[in-house]
Amino acid sequence: VRCQLSPPQRALQASAVLRRVSDEQKETFASSSQQRFDSHPTDHQPGQEPQGPRPSYTGQGGQESEDYESEEQLQHRILTAALEFVPEHGWTAEAIAEGAKTLGLSVAAAGMFHSDGSELILHFLSQCNTKLSELLEQEQKLVQLGEAEKKPTDQFLRDAVEARLRMLIPYIEKWPQALSILLLPRNIPSSLNLLTSMIDDIWHYAGDQSTDFNWYTRRAVLTGIYNTTELVMMQDSSPDFEDTWRFLENRVADAMNMRDTASQVQSTGEALVQGLMGAAVTVSNAETSQVVR
Amino acid sequence: AAAGLCPGRALLARRRGALRALRCSVRGLAAGRETHFGFQTVTEAERREKIYQVFENVAKKYDVMNDSMTLGIHRVWKDILVHKMNPSPGTLLLDVAGGTGDIAFRFINYVRSVRERQLQQKLRHHQNLSWQEISESYQEDKFNLLGDSQVVVCDINKEMLKVGKQKAQHLGYSEGLSWVLGNAEELPFDDDKFDVYTIAFGIRNVTRIDLALEEAYRVLKPGGRFLCLEFSHVSNPLLSRLYDLYSFQVIPVLGEVIAGDWKSYQYLVESIRRFPPQEELKAMIEDAGFLKVDYQNLNLGIVAIHSGFKL
Repeated sequence: VRCQLSPPQRALQASAVLRRVSDEQKETFASSSQQRFDSHPTDHQPGQEPQGPRPSYTGQGGQESEDYESEEQLQHRILTAALEFVPEHGWTAEAIAEGAKTLGLSVAAAGMFHSDGSELILHFLSQCNTKLSELLEQEQKLVQLGEAEKKPTDQFLRDAVEARLRMLIPYIEKWPQALSILLLPRNIPSSLNLLTSMIDDIWHYAGDQSTDFNWYTRRAVLTGIYNTTELVMMQDSSPDFEDTWRFLENRVADAMNMRDTASQVQSTGEALVQGLMGAAVTVSNAETSQVVR
Repeated sequence: AAAGLCPGRALLARRRGALRALRCSVRGLAAGRETHFGFQTVTEAERREKIYQVFENVAKKYDVMNDSMTLGIHRVWKDILVHKMNPSPGTLLLDVAGGTGDIAFRFINYVRSVRERQLQQKLRHHQNLSWQEISESYQEDKFNLLGDSQVVVCDINKEMLKVGKQKAQHLGYSEGLSWVLGNAEELPFDDDKFDVYTIAFGIRNVTRIDLALEEAYRVLKPGGRFLCLEFSHVSNPLLSRLYDLYSFQVIPVLGEVIAGDWKSYQYLVESIRRFPPQEELKAMIEDAGFLKVDYQNLNLGIVAIHSGFKL
């Protein structure tokens, strides 16, 4: 049971690294033109003034009641900084250590994370997913405002998957290593979670309103398309990954055909069953008539 | 300094600490506060003196006794500590109460092997260079086998440091190693200097643990890591009984037979019982300002590794 008064004591000791959130906010707004992703501070205080220091009052004991960023936010900052060292060091604790160094922290800060780099990969994945959501949201707004045409489903899926896979291009050399780490039993729940939420997002913006079994089949199909395309991309050496996009196009076309094929199969199946029933009825009638006679 | 902090501390300290603080303001600081030495009650000054003598006596047989008391398992514990640290080349380590150098030597070995792997990987990428360039890269890396990593071993006891220096010479460790005489409660180092601070089986012997923790916080760089390896509390009742039996019946006898010193080893097992358990030590570390404090039990709690970050 922690003493209620200890948090203020820690603020008194002035955390060495955790920045005040107002500082972070200034930085975020200043560099928003550079498309830097840093959603947490903005989520934390939506109604903040970007310019100037936050007005503070001194409470008891001369403490200023400013909010310091939490440890998670600092960890996110370190992981984001570590991403630029991934092409050189791979998805490892070394990359995280280099990232910590750029933030002015000791390399020992990488000890906060697991030594195989899993958190770095998961962080990157969730960043990509958020970027994709924002992209799809923007496109949807344009369509709603009438500034763009609504794409047919297959085109939409192709573009969404392509956009998401293009985010891997800077890290493509070390991505197979990342995939293998994501398959570790420890990481499977989180990586599956991120994958399914991404697929969900894409279908949501594609305008999927289904509430029946189709919901599951659609997601299974798209997951299959995404995973196979990702694997093809790993060993694709064509200029700008043309082969991968062509593969993607074919798979999406297959999926569309499959829908028609499925309904064809269903009606054929029904017809077949009816035929069989009819044959059975005829045969039994014939027999009874024989017996009667 | 303590006088000014006393009233503040009385408000914020835990139950045990609160009692001690009240006693402090009542008795004044002249005679030194009362504390424990094993199961005895002594003043702080007496305690420091007694502990210095304990380690002066056991210094020469320290490693032998460690091996026989723990059946060699202490080596595994120390290996686990350095693995958990996972130091990268270029790390600056401060090993406090590191007397005979066990952690320091392991650190050097670890960093050396990581560095070798790094160099090998670099060379693999250099397949297309000319012989000239390859020979140049060999030369610049020759003097950098440790990658600028360094470890400073600090101990309050001269005898322990002497034994450690002898061991280092004997085992061939010379680079990146320095030996400093110092008190954990008042370290002779500047602020924000070290990447990692370790104290293995030493914090139990510090008289004012809170001061040592504050000093640790001071000398660590922002982002630096605090690691503490220490005997701790066993909660499993069966193991606890066996452990008590072993501690009180076997260890002092071993002490008498091997090192000729029953009393020192009686002190050792008593001090283990007097040391705060895992959660309490975790709270003390958090009080010093460390964040993301956590502990890992080894051997069901016979030993615990506490870790915290200066964030």
